[in-house]
Amino acid sequence: MTPEGISELISRVSLRDRAAFDALYASTSAKLFGVCLRVLGNRTEAEDALQDIYVKIWNKADRFAVAGTSPISWLVAVARNHCIDRLRARKGRTEDLDEASDIAEPSADPEQSAIATGEARRLGDCLDQLDAPRATAVRGAYLNGDSYELLAQRHKVPLNTMRTWLRRSLLKLKECLEG
Amino acid sequence: MSATPPDDTVPDGDDLVAAEYVLGVLAEEERRDAARRIETDPVFARLVTRWQEYFSALDEGFTPVSPPHHIKSQIDHRLFGTDAPAPAMPLWTSLVFWRGLALAALLLAMIGFGRDLILQRPAPAQLVASMAADNSKVRTVAVYDEQTKRLKVSLVAGDMPSDRSLELWLIAGNEAPVSLGLMKSPQVTEFNVPQGLAAKLRDGTTLAISVEPLGGSPSGAPTGAVVAAGTIRAI
Repeated sequence: MTPEGISELISRVSLRDRAAFDALYASTSAKLFGVCLRVLGNRTEAEDALQDIYVKIWNKADRFAVAGTSPISWLVAVARNHCIDRLRARKGRTEDLDEASDIAEPSADPEQSAIATGEARRLGDCLDQLDAPRATAVRGAYLNGDSYELLAQRHKVPLNTMRTWLRRSLLKLKECLEG
Repeated sequence: MSATPPDDTVPDGDDLVAAEYVLGVLAEEERRDAARRIETDPVFARLVTRWQEYFSALDEGFTPVSPPHHIKSQIDHRLFGTDAPAPAMPLWTSLVFWRGLALAALLLAMIGFGRDLILQRPAPAQLVASMAADNSKVRTVAVYDEQTKRLKVSLVAGDMPSDRSLELWLIAGNEAPVSLGLMKSPQVTEFNVPQGLAAKLRDGTTLAISVEPLGGSPSGAPTGAVVAAGTIRAI
């Protein structure tokens, strides 16, 4: 479905149109379930999260008009933010860090190929200007919901060092994107 | 000239917090603070939106996976409660209602087609069906006119999808469903029933509506979800 089609469905959902909600679910749930599976790494939890996400979409659809982003970015952001909130709220964090590092180690290929076309190329080019481990950390954080805590543990550096490192990378990235 | 600060300082500022929020690296509490600021601070919210747009280029890295079917009905249950159309609408089971509807349909036909009232014979038994299904908002009524061999179907609840077609099927006994055509309008769609099929339109035959790709089922058999079904009754 085209971005315009999805925008229209979201607008109709904000007017409480259930048929539009059904159509929106039919055309976007696979993408958002992909987000849940990737970030949460657990099927049962991903299914729960997907339900919460569409309840949010139904209730917050009127916010889309003021968000000023493309419709799919908005939907993915709602899904990612919900899943990352869940990740951060998990109990028994240490255990989860171990589990997360098993599944979260990013395989470079899909992300790299995603950067190959269209507007994605610009971000890809700018990420490529960073040192490879930093670019990997930025991609991994976005796609897996890695926290500073987990990144610091993985790279075996103190948390504050990790933060400095990543913030510098973000500044460089921004310079490149806006340059 | 570079905005990158010297090595011994941690770069600071709202724009970086916005980027960290979008990236998802913040700890639980910091994340909650940032989310609260998005609600209350439009300048900060705009910074978040801009980073969101930058990073959305990575969204293609999320591989789509179809969720299991039961998820959607659980969402509907949470948002809209259980669908219980039958107890909510005892009218549908009322014979008086159906007779009234048949009479109304007959009157409309007479007005609409300018029939000669004097030549009008007593109305033969009318065949009607109400179609509905669990987990579906779509409810339709069908009225069959044996004289004109026309079946009129109206949507009384639910909507016609804009990107799919609704296809009407006749299911006689254990036979395979036979397509009667596509719903053209939510008000009234008239279906011409071919001679061979007209004989099968009788008390006890099932009518059903399925969601199909635009233009109807490519295979000649229902391929999508049945959104409404019901049994024909003679009244």
